[in-house]
Amino acid sequence: MKLNEDIDLIDGFPVIYIKSLNALVVADLHLGYEGVMAKKGTLLPKVNLRKIIDTLSIALTRTKAKTIIVDGDIKNEFSRVDEEEFNELYDFVSFVRDKGADLVLIKGNHDNFVEKYKEPFKLRIYRQEARIGDYLFFHGEEFPEDIKRVKMLIMGHEHPAIGVYNGAGKKEKLAAFLVGTYKRAPLLVIPAMNYYAAGTDMNFQMKSALLSPVLRKVDIDRMRAIAIGYGSTIDFGTIGKLRKVS
Amino acid sequence: MIEYVKEPFSDDESLAVLNPYVRAWFTKNFTELTPPQKFAFKLISERKNLLITAPTGSGKTMSGFTTIISKLFDYSLEGKLEDKVYCLYISPLKSLNNDIHRNLTRPLDEVFDQIIKAKGAKIMKENIRKVTIGVRTGDTLQSERVKMLKTPPNILVTTPESLAILLNSSKFVENLKSIEYVIVDEVHELANNKRGVHLSLSIERLADITVNKFARIGMGATLYPLDEAAKFIAGYNEGKPNDCIIVDASWSKKLDVKTISPVSDMIYTDDRKVEEATYALLDSIIKKGKTTLIFTNTRSGTERVIFNLKKIFGYGDDIAAHHGSLSRESRLEVEDLLKKGSLKCAVSSTSLELGVDIGSIDTVVQLGSPKSVTRAVQRIGRAGHSFKAVAKGDVVVLNRDDLVECTIMLDAALKRHLDSFTVPRGPLDVLAQHIVGMSLTKKWSIDEAYNLVKRVYSYSELPKSDFMALINYLAGNYVGLESRRVYGKIWYDEKEQAFTKRGYNTRLIYMLNLGTIPDQVACEVIVASTKKSVGSIEEEFLMKLKDDDIFTLGGKLYKFEYSRGMKCYVSTADATSPTIPPWYSEQLPLSYELANEIGAFRLEFSKVLEAYISKNKVKRFDKGEPIPKEALEILDKLPADQNSKEALYGYFMEQLLFTKYVPNKELLLVEFTGDISDYKFYVIFHSLYGRRTNDALSRAIGIEMGERLDLDIGVMVNDNGFMFVFDEKPEIDEKMIHDIISSLSRGSLVPLMKRNVRKTEMMKRRFRHAAARSFMILRNYKGFKIGVGRQQVNSQILLKAVEDMDPNFPILKETYREILNDVMDLPRAEEVLSKIRKGEIKTKFIETSLPSPFAHNLITFGHSDVIMMKDRHEYLRELHKLVMKKIAVK
Repeated sequence: MKLNEDIDLIDGFPVIYIKSLNALVVADLHLGYEGVMAKKGTLLPKVNLRKIIDTLSIALTRTKAKTIIVDGDIKNEFSRVDEEEFNELYDFVSFVRDKGADLVLIKGNHDNFVEKYKEPFKLRIYRQEARIGDYLFFHGEEFPEDIKRVKMLIMGHEHPAIGVYNGAGKKEKLAAFLVGTYKRAPLLVIPAMNYYAAGTDMNFQMKSALLSPVLRKVDIDRMRAIAIGYGSTIDFGTIGKLRKVS
Repeated sequence: MIEYVKEPFSDDESLAVLNPYVRAWFTKNFTELTPPQKFAFKLISERKNLLITAPTGSGKTMSGFTTIISKLFDYSLEGKLEDKVYCLYISPLKSLNNDIHRNLTRPLDEVFDQIIKAKGAKIMKENIRKVTIGVRTGDTLQSERVKMLKTPPNILVTTPESLAILLNSSKFVENLKSIEYVIVDEVHELANNKRGVHLSLSIERLADITVNKFARIGMGATLYPLDEAAKFIAGYNEGKPNDCIIVDASWSKKLDVKTISPVSDMIYTDDRKVEEATYALLDSIIKKGKTTLIFTNTRSGTERVIFNLKKIFGYGDDIAAHHGSLSRESRLEVEDLLKKGSLKCAVSSTSLELGVDIGSIDTVVQLGSPKSVTRAVQRIGRAGHSFKAVAKGDVVVLNRDDLVECTIMLDAALKRHLDSFTVPRGPLDVLAQHIVGMSLTKKWSIDEAYNLVKRVYSYSELPKSDFMALINYLAGNYVGLESRRVYGKIWYDEKEQAFTKRGYNTRLIYMLNLGTIPDQVACEVIVASTKKSVGSIEEEFLMKLKDDDIFTLGGKLYKFEYSRGMKCYVSTADATSPTIPPWYSEQLPLSYELANEIGAFRLEFSKVLEAYISKNKVKRFDKGEPIPKEALEILDKLPADQNSKEALYGYFMEQLLFTKYVPNKELLLVEFTGDISDYKFYVIFHSLYGRRTNDALSRAIGIEMGERLDLDIGVMVNDNGFMFVFDEKPEIDEKMIHDIISSLSRGSLVPLMKRNVRKTEMMKRRFRHAAARSFMILRNYKGFKIGVGRQQVNSQILLKAVEDMDPNFPILKETYREILNDVMDLPRAEEVLSKIRKGEIKTKFIETSLPSPFAHNLITFGHSDVIMMKDRHEYLRELHKLVMKKIAVK
């Protein structure tokens, strides 16, 4: 689905393509999640990395993008590096390299470690926010700074989703992009790519319960939710309207 | 071979197996042997496997222990008694363990005192020692455990969970190798659930390490079929059950029972009058005897009865409540007062049904149906001063379905027809746990371990492929090689076909997480839109909720929206009736066997009435009419009072005159009807096969019907049938009903049910429990927080991930098995459907302008809890009046 002239939301996936940068943008991969959970006692089957690689392979083939921008939280654990995470990170970086693409990382709250791997992995890492082309990428746990003359702010962190009812009256959660404005600058929130992140159903949440300080500052009821599921991407209208279904 | 011993041994013969000191002690303290003792002394002395059932208070404990104590004193007198465990006693109740310890300490002390008197100083020289006893449960202090390790007691009293731990304590296990007797008490509390299966795996693991083969003794209250319980206790060998002797002394107490209807007209008597009559009846029973025990079916009912008795008749502290929600202290206090005989009356929900000694009770009163013959017998069996006394029980009924049910129940009890239990077949989650436990003790060849497992009755038919699926799961083979270090709980060598322990943490994980009882938690109920908390429900209840279910809480109606973690989100419902009764989880389900007995009675009685109606051209029925001779002949054989007989007769006559049909054992009546008050349409299946069967049947038929009509339909299930509710008049006829039933063939039923079950909350939660039991989710790590600490991996996503990976993943397979076979009764639903196909059960489709009398309770219970009891009665009365008018017009 086309968001605007420059940005395409890849149908059915939490991935955007920016034509002017020839880049795919994703957020909140939380690699190594299952391994970390396993150590805490929950043995989730390992599917996250496989699904991410599948998705990105399709997106790369469709768009011929040459860059993948990860808008924060590429891995799961705070500060420490876990061996499981390292292995998955290694596999992920190798995958991107094999596809002949560049990897750009915006540091998220879970990524304090990655600079250690900057050299061996030859990563492009931005500390807090990164201005690439006309866009400002930041993870979302802090306010963006350099927002003047920005075409769009792009963040992750919140794991946005919406709750809707299907025909049988069953409530379902769908991951969703959020589109709105922050201090008059256009704002796009990318849903989490992690398989196990069900996401937060924004139309069931009070503002104060939101994770990102940025979203607590904006009127999320006026943000548009573009949901993904069952292979397609569809505009569901504003969060404010969606609240009424709840 | 499993055999029954019917003829008791003489007291002399029994006492002859004891050594002189124990015999002297026994004859000094008891004048004669109780029925179970007359069998047990001799048989245990022959070291036979034994299953003894007998009512509480019939000297069961001593029947099991006396011979063993004697045997141990024999060892002592021979100077051979060592610091080893010779006898292991396992009971599911911790409180019972302390009782046993107290009760055995005295005989052990007194017998030893006699030996000291007789032998004097020789005791030291001949190394004659006292037989010791010790309790080991989760409550046992660390210091005592250390002591026990050094000097183990000769008789060790423990719980299933503590036994599993002991089997994996590398040091203590040495003390268990000398065991010669294993007693499992309260078999009826274990044989029908996973906790029992867990225990039987522990017992076979124990049998694998003891030096000598031990004798197994199972003890319990009434249960049926005893053969199944015997297999559960004795275990299997090479595909056949081990030898076991069954002693059935459950009927040693005579029963004197009847149903009492407080009023003769259960429809038109004013509610206040019914209530007054009920309490006056209770009061007169209480006043007549020294101590009365009243059972209600719910905790709230218990509270209400106590409150009203105190209010109306001015009772004080001489009556008391006893139920699970009360603190341990107050329960113990009530038990103590009962033992001392200082209570006039105790009111209980289920907690006084079994176990602890409560002294002598004159009469047991049961309010409403206890839903199973076995339970009725167990409860009423608490009455009577000694094992020789007659147990007197009155069942007070409150509506006409209850009346039929209770009368037939008591009749079945007098005929000794009990309802059956089933041992869960091959639960994979419980087995997963034990495989981890086994791996910690040594290196096992696959075949050796598999053969051990098959010695447990529950796993006697376990396919090797299921066993291997578990080995592969536990070895972490569902993730890549490099992650098995984390995922693997056991180390599996494929080439060598062997497994053993893996990693250092596994032992700790095992010890902290073993057991089968899921943590039952109260779930908070929150209004989704306002986030206001409105109360809490049990997790079991939440599990039953499907989308759009409406239930009452604190007198208000709520619609179930979704659940997250342990929270239940609802919206306020503007509907007029709940789709699911609030006491669903609290209410006991009607058993299959009892339902069949009722069906048989309905057949017999309605045939007689039909003949009477056609012979005398009866057109209408008037209240107070004398019961005709041929009907009275049948009713007089039943344990019921005059009011009850009249009500029974009226109930059947009305149904016959209104519809010509009384649903029965051979007739499944399907009634298509409407509601007088709110334009609803009902398709009612008068299906009388027990509620667990009805649960399965209603789902299967409901999906088929919904798909054919392309409509959303509400389903309600109770003991006497199930019903589909429509807002608009559906196009339904006899042919469609037949088509639906014949389409539900054996092959299609299971996938159909799985599809339905997959959508329920129950599936998610049972899956979580199964995942916890098989160590996929560890319970001592509360919650599954994603780093940021807010979003949870809900069981829904985990379930999906597992399904994606392997639809036959053992934990998934077990979840379906548990729901379809343990929670519902799919096998019996299949049986019913096949009987219909074969014509053994006929179906009859009728359209009625008003719900027929037999449908009234099913319909009104939907209305019951919105408009509360009073209005319910009002509504019922209105329905009844209309029906009677119709009959009169004809």
